[in-house]
Amino acid sequence: VKDLLCATNLRVLALNMNFQLFWSQQEQQEVTYNVQYLFGFLKNLNEDYWDKWLGVPRCENITNTCCNFSSIITSTGFYYLRVQARQGNNSCFSREIKVDPLKTNGIGPPGVRLDLSDTLLHIRISPPGGAEDEIMRDHYDLSYRILYWKNSSNKEEEVKQKEVKQTIATIPDVSPSSLYCVKVQAFSEPYNKSSAYSQQECIHTPAGSSLPLIIFGIFMGALLAVLLVGTPLVFVLYQAYNKIKYVFFPSCQPPLNIEGFGAQLFSSPYLSAAEEPLENCCVIESMVTEEGNQIDFPDYQHYKQSSRDSGNYSNDDNASGSKGSKETLEREMV
Amino acid sequence: IMNAFGLIQIGLILSSTTITSSLQCNHLPLQQRQVIKNSLRLLDKMGKKFPQQCLREKMSFRFPTQVLQPRQKESVGVAIEEIFQHIFYIFSKNLTLAAWDRTALDQFQNGLCLQIEQLEACVIKKHTQHHQSKEVSRLKLKKYFRKIDCFLKDKQHDLCSWEISRAEMRRCLQLIDKVTRKL
Repeated sequence: VKDLLCATNLRVLALNMNFQLFWSQQEQQEVTYNVQYLFGFLKNLNEDYWDKWLGVPRCENITNTCCNFSSIITSTGFYYLRVQARQGNNSCFSREIKVDPLKTNGIGPPGVRLDLSDTLLHIRISPPGGAEDEIMRDHYDLSYRILYWKNSSNKEEEVKQKEVKQTIATIPDVSPSSLYCVKVQAFSEPYNKSSAYSQQECIHTPAGSSLPLIIFGIFMGALLAVLLVGTPLVFVLYQAYNKIKYVFFPSCQPPLNIEGFGAQLFSSPYLSAAEEPLENCCVIESMVTEEGNQIDFPDYQHYKQSSRDSGNYSNDDNASGSKGSKETLEREMV
Repeated sequence: IMNAFGLIQIGLILSSTTITSSLQCNHLPLQQRQVIKNSLRLLDKMGKKFPQQCLREKMSFRFPTQVLQPRQKESVGVAIEEIFQHIFYIFSKNLTLAAWDRTALDQFQNGLCLQIEQLEACVIKKHTQHHQSKEVSRLKLKKYFRKIDCFLKDKQHDLCSWEISRAEMRRCLQLIDKVTRKL
């Protein structure tokens, strides 16, 4: 009868130094439990230790079959635990279970955060048990195993591994416009323990370094602007310059041996010069015929031509020849 | 018969390898550093500052520092294990007059005991090779701790004798800490 009262199947589950004792209940009715612990060394002394068992706080006179005994545990040390089952006047002590905290404890998964900068992927690891809690780090000498891969839909990328001791790692040379996924596991080499893998964290790398592209685009735009606007402008300016040069500063000068031109420095032969004094050239005809007729030419005034002829060249025909020419002249007049 | 003998040999080798491989001993150096660190902290925690009146009773026990000279890593490890055992033994009884914090004292003892137990399991004691130097260190340590034990007995384990012993143990652990860091 008493055997059915005892708690059985004592087992300890520990994660990140949080220790829980579980046991199985045999009798279903009105059993209260007391969880007790003993410092391990007391068994090694040649003394009685039956009175040295201490109660675990918050696990006295309980009805559920689990107990959190983290409060009595120190990392350097070992303990024995037992459960006293009570029903009325009956009491039964379970078998003892030995607990070596660092060996029994399980390492929980670390936290992961991803950051990107240029072509570097930064992995920030938060240690299991929290950053403030140094027990895990100090006692286990934790290292971290990082698994990372490029998540592409078309083909399977190989999973790469990296082991670090620090809580920050960097993956160099990540390809642009890709989805990278990471998961991290904490492990202790001296204790040969490893945690479960953390949750998978993924991050998108930005579309290819855009800054050089922007710079190139601006450069091409500026080049085009220069070509489209600058070229006609230059052309127009050049033409204007040419015209001005043509008008004011002619490149071909008339030869200096031509009289009069050398002295005229600022006057161009192509501009209209001042009016030269005109010579009224009249062809004075005095026809001396045999009959003695004198033909008058009253319309001589019409002949006032502004002749540019300076009259240097004269018609040196003799009388006979001139007669003939005069006659033709007459005819023309009529 | 030859086959049977051969099989027995193989069996022995296999069993010995399984024993040594099942014993996880890689963690011991790391754990030892933590045990020493914790022990020093608990030694400070369990009592108050060294009482002025006990200064005149101060004795020099002359710890044999040569046992911790790292001539051989293994011999130093064995020496450390023995020192832990001696300290554990000294602090195990007649502590009523010391009036120290019981919890701190228990945790102190517990840590030492854990380390001793695991060192015993992992350090392979070579009974065949009895080095003269190892025996000499063992005797020197024995002499040193017996001196402390006699001192405590003579003073009937009063407060001052305990405080002096506590200070001495502190010095001893600090020496071990220095050596362990170098290993």
